Amino acid sequence: MNEVLTDQYVTYELADEKYALKISDVYEIIKMQNITRIPNSNPYLEGVINLRGKIIPVANLHRKFGLPNYTFTKKTRIVVVNSRNEMIGIVVDKVNQVIRFSNIQPPPEKVAGIDGSYFEGIGLTDEGVVSILKIDKVLYE
Amino acid sequence: MANIFESPEIIGAFICEVEEQLQLLEINISKLKRNDETTETLQELFRAAHTLKGCSASMGFERMEILTREMENVLDRLCNGLLEISKPLVDILFECLDYLKMLKQDFVSNTNSIKTEITPVITKLKEIMTTKAIIEQRNQPIFVLDEKQQELINRALSMDQNVLVCEVEILEDSPMKSTRAYLIMNFFNECGMVISMIPNVLELPIGDDIGNVVFLISTQMSADVLEKKALNELMDVSKVKVFSYFDKSYQCKTDIKEDGLKDKDLLDKNNKSSEKTVEDEKQVLHTVKIDADRLERMRELVGELVIEQIRIAQISSNLYNQYPFDESIDDLVGISNRVSVLINELQDGIMKTRMIPLKQLFCQIPEMVGGLSHLLNKEINLVLEGEEIEIDRTIMEEMSDLLLYLIQNAIDHGIEKPEIRKKLGKPEKGTLRITALPEESNVIITVEDDGAGIDIQEIKMSAIKNQIVTQQEADNMTEQQLINLIFCMDFFTSKKVDTASDREFGMDIVRANIEKMNGIIDVETCVGTGTKFIIKLPIKLPLTLSTLKGLLIKINDEIYALPMSNVVEIVRKPKNEIESVNGQAVAVIRDKTVPLVWLHDYFGIPRGKERENTLIVLLGIAEKRFGLVVDELIGNQEIVVTNLGSYIGKVEGISGATILGNRSVACILDVLGLLDMVNSKRI
Repeated sequence: MNEVLTDQYVTYELADEKYALKISDVYEIIKMQNITRIPNSNPYLEGVINLRGKIIPVANLHRKFGLPNYTFTKKTRIVVVNSRNEMIGIVVDKVNQVIRFSNIQPPPEKVAGIDGSYFEGIGLTDEGVVSILKIDKVLYE
Repeated sequence: MANIFESPEIIGAFICEVEEQLQLLEINISKLKRNDETTETLQELFRAAHTLKGCSASMGFERMEILTREMENVLDRLCNGLLEISKPLVDILFECLDYLKMLKQDFVSNTNSIKTEITPVITKLKEIMTTKAIIEQRNQPIFVLDEKQQELINRALSMDQNVLVCEVEILEDSPMKSTRAYLIMNFFNECGMVISMIPNVLELPIGDDIGNVVFLISTQMSADVLEKKALNELMDVSKVKVFSYFDKSYQCKTDIKEDGLKDKDLLDKNNKSSEKTVEDEKQVLHTVKIDADRLERMRELVGELVIEQIRIAQISSNLYNQYPFDESIDDLVGISNRVSVLINELQDGIMKTRMIPLKQLFCQIPEMVGGLSHLLNKEINLVLEGEEIEIDRTIMEEMSDLLLYLIQNAIDHGIEKPEIRKKLGKPEKGTLRITALPEESNVIITVEDDGAGIDIQEIKMSAIKNQIVTQQEADNMTEQQLINLIFCMDFFTSKKVDTASDREFGMDIVRANIEKMNGIIDVETCVGTGTKFIIKLPIKLPLTLSTLKGLLIKINDEIYALPMSNVVEIVRKPKNEIESVNGQAVAVIRDKTVPLVWLHDYFGIPRGKERENTLIVLLGIAEKRFGLVVDELIGNQEIVVTNLGSYIGKVEGISGATILGNRSVACILDVLGLLDMVNSKRI
C-alpha cells in the first residue's frame, strides 16, 4: 500500500458524500455548463458538452449510485477524467482539494449502499473517510 | 466476353487508354517518317505497342492483341538495331495504326462483333520481319536506354561530363565472376556514375560465368585517364577499353542519319527533339494516371481543411458579434470568407477527379435494349437523355446494376408485345425513356416506359403470399404504400417470365443499394399507361463523412440537425389538414399521404401547445417518406459531424453531434435510424 499512499487524490462531493479520484485520472476540472441531452442513450449519461472544440460525454454518477440528483449551484463542477483513452466528464456537486491519504483501507462489500467493487479503497483523512473510485469500472460497468 | 459488360468503367478506361496509346503511336511513327527519330522514339513506339497488347489481352480483345504483339516484335527488332528503318516499314506501321483505329471503332460500336479483318497486315508484318535485310548483329552490345537514363546522359552532358562506354573483360580463371563484376561496377560508380550496364550486374545470379561486362558511365574523367586508372586498379581483369558513347563506331542508330555527330551536336539535337515532343504532346489527350491512394490522401486532406475552415468561419463570426466595430475582425471575416471560397473550389476540383460522364453507363443501354427486345419480340424506341452529366465513379458503379435491372424489367414486364399494344390502341413501338437531370448536388435519373404499368392488386396479392404483410395490413394500406411493397420482395422475377434475366437481383436489392448511397427512389405507375421510376442520387460522395449540409431544427427547446440530403420538402399544414388514419397522424403532401412523426414522443420531450400551423419536414430515404413535426426551423449550414465516441456508443436515431456557432452541441439525426425507431416502438 506504500505506493498508493504517495499518490495524490482529488476529492469531491456527490450529494454530501465524499469521493476521490487519483489525480492522474483527472484531466481537468471545469465549471458546469450547458449539457446537450442525447435522447434514448445510456441512462447514466447526462449528455455531451463542448470542451474547447471537442465533444465529450458527461456522466451522471448521482443516478448511477442512486443518490438524490444534483441541483445546479455555483459550486457544481464537471470533472473531466481520462478513461479508456476517452475523455469523459462527471458532474460533481463540489470539488474539495487535492490530498494524500495517511491510510487506505480495502473497501467493504457495500459503501453507503453502493457496491464495494466500484471502489479502490477507503482513504482516511483527518476530516473523515473518503471513497476512492475505480473510474473505469464506475463508468463502464 | 460477357464479363466486360459488367463494368462500364473498365470499358471506358480501356478505350481511353487505347486512344492515348494510338496517339503516341501516330506521333512517333510520323517522326520515323520524317527521319526524325531517336532511341526514345523507337522505345516509345515499343512501349505503346506493348501497353496496347497488355490491355487488349486483359479485355479479351483478341484481334488487337494479336496485331499489337506482331507490331511489338517488329519494334523490338528496330530497338535492338536488328531491323533498319525504311519507307516500306514505316508504311506498314502506318497501316497497323489504321487497323488499330478501325478495331477500336468496332469495339466502341459493338464489343461483340469485331468486323475488321487483320490477317493482311499481320502477313505484312511477318514478311518484314523475315525478308528484310537484317542488320548484322554488332560485336558490342547496345544499350537500350529508358527516359530516365537518357535524362541522366543529358544532365551529364550539360555539366560538361563525359559519357563513356567501358568494356571490361574479366579474367578467364577469376573465381566468382559475378562478384567481380559487382566490384567493377562499384569501382566505376566511384569514378562517376554507372548509367547502364550489360549484362545487369545486379541481377546476375551468383556464380554466373560472365566474361565481358560493358558499362555506360558518366564521369569527369576523360576516356584515356579512366582506362589507365581501371587497368591499374581493377583486379582479375584482362582487358579494359574505354571510349566515348558518342564514338561513331559505337552509335548504332545515328549511323543511319548524318555522320560525325559530335557530343555537342547531339546535345543540341536532344534539346531540339525534346522541344518537339512538348509541342506534339499538346495534341495528346491530357490524361495523367495517378495512384488512387495519393488522390485519396489529397481528398482526406481537403476534407480536414474544410472542417477547420468551418471552425474558423464560426469563430470569426462569433468574434464579429462580440466586437462589431473592430477592423481587424472585419478583415478576419473577409479573409475567412475568401478562404472558404478557395477551399470550395479546391474541394470541387478534387471531387472532379473522381467523376466520370454517365455516357460510360448509358452507352451499354442500346446494346442491351436491342438484345432483350429482340429476344422478347418487342419493339422499342429508346430515348436516352443526359449522358453528359458527370457523377462520382463509385456511385456510377453502385448504380449501374440497378439501372440495368430496372431497364430490363421495363422491357420484360412493362412494355407489351406489338400485337397487344395495337389492340390497346397504343403505338406498336413502345417507348423506353431514360433520363438524367442534375439537381443541385444530386442527379435525378428516371426510367420510364409506356407499357402495362403495375397492377396494385397484383402487388397486394404477391405481398400477402410472400408474407410481407397480412391481408388486414394490406387492406389498410394506401395505394402508394402498396406500390412501395414491390421494394420489399423480389416482385418482378417472382412472376417467372422466361427472360434473359439471369442477374441475381430484385427490387429489394435496388432499394438496399439506393439506401446505401443515401438516395431516394419513387415509383409512379398507372395500369395501362406505364411505370416511371425516379431515382435521386448524390452526384458526389461526401468529401469526408465528417461534414454534411445540415438543416437545424428545434424540437421543443432542443436543437437537432438533419442531413439536407434526406430533406425532401418543408411544408406548413393547418391543424385541420392533419388527419388520423388508424391512429396514425398523416398529412397529404403533394398528393401523397405521409405519416407524421413527433420525435417529442420518442425523446421524452413534451409536445408543447398545439399551434395553428404544423411545421413538417418531409424526410426521405430510398422509397420511404415521413413527415417530421418540428417546432422551429433555424436554417441550414455546413456542419462537422463528430462521432459520439465509444463511451456513449450507438444511439438509435442519432448519428453524431456537432458544435454550433454559439458553441453549444446539437445532435445529428439519422433518418434511417429514426425510421427504424418509429417502426419498432409503438409509444
